[in-house]
Amino acid sequence: MTRSVGGKITGAVIAVFGASLVAFLFMRVLPGDPARLIVGPLATQQAIEEQKKAMGLDQPLWVQYWRYIKGFFTGDWGFSYSTGQTVAHEMGARLPASAELGLCAFTFAFIFAIVFALLATYRHRPVVDGTVRGVSFLGLGTPPFWFGLIILLLFSQVWHIFPGPDGRLGPNTTPPPSVTHFYTIDALIAGQWATFKDAFMHLILPSLALGLAVFAYLVRLLRANLLDISRENFIVVARSTGHGRWSAFSGYALPNAFLPTLTAAGLVFAQLLAGSVLVERVFNWPGVGGLVVDSILRQDYAVVQTFVLLSAVLYVVVNLGVDVLYGVVDPRVRIPVTS
Amino acid sequence: MEAVDVVGTPPSGALARVWRGVGRAVTFVAGDHGLLLGVSVLGGLALLAIFGPILWPKDPLAIDVGASLQAPSWSHPMGTDGVGRDVFARFLEGARISLVVGSVVVVVGAIIGGFAGILAGVSGGWLDSATMRVMDAILAFPPLILAMAVCVGLGASLKTAALGVMLTTIPYYARLLRSEVLRIRTLPFIEAAYALGAGRRRIMLRHVVPHVVSTMLIQAAAVFGYAILTLAALGFVGLGAQVPTPEWGTMITDGLQYFLTGQWWIGVFPGLGVLLAVIAASLIADRVRDILDPRGRYAHV
Repeated sequence: MTRSVGGKITGAVIAVFGASLVAFLFMRVLPGDPARLIVGPLATQQAIEEQKKAMGLDQPLWVQYWRYIKGFFTGDWGFSYSTGQTVAHEMGARLPASAELGLCAFTFAFIFAIVFALLATYRHRPVVDGTVRGVSFLGLGTPPFWFGLIILLLFSQVWHIFPGPDGRLGPNTTPPPSVTHFYTIDALIAGQWATFKDAFMHLILPSLALGLAVFAYLVRLLRANLLDISRENFIVVARSTGHGRWSAFSGYALPNAFLPTLTAAGLVFAQLLAGSVLVERVFNWPGVGGLVVDSILRQDYAVVQTFVLLSAVLYVVVNLGVDVLYGVVDPRVRIPVTS
Repeated sequence: MEAVDVVGTPPSGALARVWRGVGRAVTFVAGDHGLLLGVSVLGGLALLAIFGPILWPKDPLAIDVGASLQAPSWSHPMGTDGVGRDVFARFLEGARISLVVGSVVVVVGAIIGGFAGILAGVSGGWLDSATMRVMDAILAFPPLILAMAVCVGLGASLKTAALGVMLTTIPYYARLLRSEVLRIRTLPFIEAAYALGAGRRRIMLRHVVPHVVSTMLIQAAAVFGYAILTLAALGFVGLGAQVPTPEWGTMITDGLQYFLTGQWWIGVFPGLGVLLAVIAASLIADRVRDILDPRGRYAHV
């Protein structure tokens, strides 16, 4: 067990090392002139040379790489020229908004996925099943930013149910006193019901847009797992002991169907991460993804460079965690398979 | 090996054979609802993309400020955008861009990734480990974010976006084909070929590679929709095709500012295009997997 975990950690470290080389290659080496990117297209040759020196681009490649890696892992992520702050500060300030949105989207997706997967499988109903499969197909094929625009148009512009794209709170609401930096939770702690309602209403549409792909993916996976498990003998046994179809499904099949879903956690995380870049801009959500897009549009690449490597590291760590956890949860995985 | 067909040989000749093949393909596709739907939607988009300029001879880049922000009508079926360009003409051009670039991404990615996977599987040793470590490094990124990095590093354009998306697809081919090659290498018929005196090269080209083609096709079919979706996403964040180019993702960005003032058509139609193309592609991909997957066939028995 410990040996296999050690092997997995080694593999993850090698993957991160490789990823850092790829990021370094594409973002620092290949274009040849990151200095020009930073000082802008109108800068003089002299300004470019100075910028190059300041960035250490006159050093040999391996020195540059070492500095890049050291800077990244010591939290020295550079300076964002468009906001006048360090990248670390900018990202830190915007992280809670993204985390709140991501968690909310995931909760939506997860709950809906469970309900729909159960509805589609617990009884043989081709119409329900077909609808659920169709929805999951649509969800995987819809560009999330476009879906965000559509629901914004319908629910905010046409029907006025939810607020428009003005970020985390409406223009007339002041943020609640910070404890967790999650506006909904902070508002509850402070007992400000109106603020809570405002923050919550602002969360729903972006969460739907961000969670759609995750939902579609999870419902597909859960449905297939539930169908497989429903043919197992222990479900028949549960039915024969007097459990109804629904309770056999939700009580016996569902927990077992979750197990393979755990492996999807890495993919879900990647979808939320990439989705936040696409969705936050539509809703003017003040999160990290929105910051990345703004930085791209302003050609301020320090933020993007950090974000790219950071997301790779997080993605590898999440996948590693899933791998290790899976061994703990499912004893069968622990036994080494000889191929 | 030539097939020996003695009983009732139908009229031979290359043309007749092609026609029979087409006929069989049509009856096969028509008998399968999912496949039929996917093929007709994607085929319809492809026809629109090819014959669009003839059917709708409007310039997708022609600015006509006097006719800006018009709602869909007979003269502009999808309305006009902020500077009076015809959205339908731009939609057609966008279909062409998406389908062509998506196909290029699929084909080039399949060739590079397939080659890397087969090479790794066949050679083993350090070449195998080195190739797979490179693939791991690429897989360490969430796909969209690696594609973004490529665009930022090499300069935002349609070409770099295509390159970035292609790069993210390579490991999937490589991993799959490597494991297929490893699996096939242990099968008895390879041993038989070896016993008959076939060389390594011949075994590889005549006996292993033909068996991984279907796996590669399954993967390629799945990549097509992903490529179109990711290209649109890159265009949306300003990293793909640049502004006047009527790429679907870029067009949605263009429509962003008009959404809240009521001109929904500028952004809705290109998104609908992406949706249709991706769903049709994934319908086809699903069916292709069911039909071609060498393991799936046994699983269904």
